[in-house]
Amino acid sequence: MASLDQLKQTFFDECDEALQQIEAGLTDIREGQQSDDTVNAVFRGVHSVKGGAGIFGFEALVGFAHVFETLLDGVRRGSLKATSDTLDVLLSASDVLSDLVQMSRAGKPIAAGFGNEVRSALQQIIDGDKGGAAAAEDDNSPAPADFDGLDFKPVPVNLDDDASAADALRCYAITFRPKAEMLKKANEPLYLIRELRKLGELELMAQTGEMPALSEMEPDRPYIWWTGTLQSSAPRAKIDEVFEFVIGDCDLEIVETNAAPVAELVEIADAPPTAPQEASAPLPPRATPVAPVAAPAAAAEHPEAVSGGRSAAAKPAATTTRIELERIDRVVNMVGELVISQAMLGQIVQDLPEGTSGRLAQILEEVIHHTRELKDSVMSMRAQPVSSVFQRMPRLVRELSTKTEKKVRLEMVGETTEVDRSIIERLGDPLTHIIRNSVDHGIELPADRLAAGKNEEGTIRLSAEHRGGRIVIQITDDGAGINSERVLKKAREKGLVSADATLSEDEIANLIMLAGFSTAETVSDISGRGVGMDVVRSNIQDIGGRISLKSERGRGMTIQLALPLTLAVMDGMVIKVGQQTYVMPLSAIVECLRPARTDISNLIGTRGMLQLRGDFVPLIHLGDLLDIGSAAGDGGESVVIITDAGEGARFGLVVDELCGHQQVVIKSIEESYGSVPGIAAATILGNGRVAFILDVEKLNDLAVSSPVGAGIPTKAAPVAKVA
Amino acid sequence: MPNAVAIKVLVVDDQNSVRQMTRMTLEEIGFRHIHEAENGVQAMETASLQPLDLIISDYNMPEMDGLGLLRAVRGHPVVRKVPFILLTGRGDRELVVKAAQAGVNNYLVKPFTAAILREKIEQVMGKLS
Repeated sequence: MASLDQLKQTFFDECDEALQQIEAGLTDIREGQQSDDTVNAVFRGVHSVKGGAGIFGFEALVGFAHVFETLLDGVRRGSLKATSDTLDVLLSASDVLSDLVQMSRAGKPIAAGFGNEVRSALQQIIDGDKGGAAAAEDDNSPAPADFDGLDFKPVPVNLDDDASAADALRCYAITFRPKAEMLKKANEPLYLIRELRKLGELELMAQTGEMPALSEMEPDRPYIWWTGTLQSSAPRAKIDEVFEFVIGDCDLEIVETNAAPVAELVEIADAPPTAPQEASAPLPPRATPVAPVAAPAAAAEHPEAVSGGRSAAAKPAATTTRIELERIDRVVNMVGELVISQAMLGQIVQDLPEGTSGRLAQILEEVIHHTRELKDSVMSMRAQPVSSVFQRMPRLVRELSTKTEKKVRLEMVGETTEVDRSIIERLGDPLTHIIRNSVDHGIELPADRLAAGKNEEGTIRLSAEHRGGRIVIQITDDGAGINSERVLKKAREKGLVSADATLSEDEIANLIMLAGFSTAETVSDISGRGVGMDVVRSNIQDIGGRISLKSERGRGMTIQLALPLTLAVMDGMVIKVGQQTYVMPLSAIVECLRPARTDISNLIGTRGMLQLRGDFVPLIHLGDLLDIGSAAGDGGESVVIITDAGEGARFGLVVDELCGHQQVVIKSIEESYGSVPGIAAATILGNGRVAFILDVEKLNDLAVSSPVGAGIPTKAAPVAKVA
Repeated sequence: MPNAVAIKVLVVDDQNSVRQMTRMTLEEIGFRHIHEAENGVQAMETASLQPLDLIISDYNMPEMDGLGLLRAVRGHPVVRKVPFILLTGRGDRELVVKAAQAGVNNYLVKPFTAAILREKIEQVMGKLS
């Protein structure tokens, strides 16, 4: 049974949902989509928070929610108008409520005057309505058991005189299957059946299909069970009483079928009469072919009712179950271990002599298939809609726009897109930072916007969608965009770009994500403290994501985050270079090929180019880059993996051998070793050895930044260099 | 004297936490047959599938609220006589008047203690053994 703490936890989870509902409803109303349903939904949200808070004893929460609710009630009844000013107060109230929930959840003491400003603003609007009568109650008094002065008399019922139950003849479908325990406790099934018969018209059929041969029969095990119907005017409780002492020791289903199926009853009557008395003696399985009639039919009609009368544990079918995250995480870990064991098994099967492993390989194939499905199912359990991060943003925008005196509207699209919880958790900070930047640096002041011929109110659009096995989050604003001259000037001052380099507009825009770059002329209180987009970028890269940025001067900019769906397991390609084995994320691979020597040209100033269907693709020799040498020398027998390093940049990675595709469990190495350039994580292979998972995008950066001779790759970036 | 163990009670509330809390309180009093429903519609489904001796319902729920459920129960041929206790917030006076007109047996102001819940049930069902 749930403990009080668990229930509180459940309550706070419900609060989060309610707060989201409140926020969304108020935003809808503000955007002119006011309907009774939205107002009711908001009201219900606040009411739920208040109700639960009362039960769990969070008095500060109750008090505030009460005033909030009173105002909403006025709006709901139409006695108060949801003017723009009222809505502002309501939105701040939702922020305060959210704070109160957070504080209560964290068990922090709540200062006596917390939220008083908003509270009195609410009160003021209510008072303007009807002199504050409704909210004048003292909220800190314990709940009254009765309303004073209310003329209400409880209406007692007489249970013994159960007229409604007694007047109608009811029909019950009964399935009764004794267990061995029942006989051990000396409860005689036949006695129960006789008691049942006293209640009305009983038609039972013994099911003898499970009766073994006499020689195999265990004397203390029941083999016979019964199905049938009882027509009786007795209330259900009387029937339950008959079985009161055997309830745990038998499988019992009693389903009330109000309209007794006449045809089926006839069929029962026509079936060979198997009197209960006879049934206790071993019978030839005479009645077996006759299917149990009434009970399963009724059960099929009302599947929820089957166990209905049995115990308190039977609940109506719930659509969702709340599970502690820890438990799911445990399953995820076990699935990870399973993937590793399975890979090891695969290795062994592969090493078996030809011809001995056929059947084994076949079964292993099935295991692999099931493991994959298991992984997908568990991952979908961990998946959460991004709305849990998105929901914080409206408030952020609201607060920032007040502070900066700008007018900003936030649009959100695709909040229901699901992504792994671990990603969600690490998405909040980067997203907050980007939105801050957009309001602070992107969106212009109302006057400037009007002068530029734009709507006074700026728009930030936050969207999420699934695209090609990744989740893509996009933040677009219609602000001023990036001032490329200023960015370039700054970058040159800081020595981030050489003085003579020519850069495209987009390349310049991407400079703002370099470490130590911040152009804000005055360090504002909101953003621009010098740790800016570079932190966002490394945060996103840490979770295997990519960030890209597009800016159009005067029209706004778009930041796109492409993130993996999970951080636990991924599809990888196992590759070999020299003596080392690495894993490449399958999602980064475009194609693999073994090029002819003539297709590779060593141009001056590059590491070699592969001619591929008319295009030139730059090559990176993994062995050289990681300084581990290569078995195939200068690439004659090498395999080239064409990879996509993001933003359409392709390059060919030269390796010695492809060892095959497999699912790998991602084990972070950052906690133990810090971040190693070019290495994303580690994994355990089928042979039990550890292999590094390559970070393709960083490999490209490494290759680009390391000095290049005339076609001869130089040694760069030792693998064990710890940052 | 009705025995709490034998009484089949249906708890209706859209908030899982409150529903569980009510269940715990009922169990404290001695109830063992406790069914749950999340709203009026679900409650009517549950009520039509098995005999019930008591319904304890919240007022504020999506789909069908507590008053709607009360009216549906009273208009239903099989369950119309099942005792009905309505849970209200501390400001909902008018609601109790409406519920009384619709045939509620008793009301209960949230939050409540086990003692008050027991008292409210006993006012309707008689002293519990």
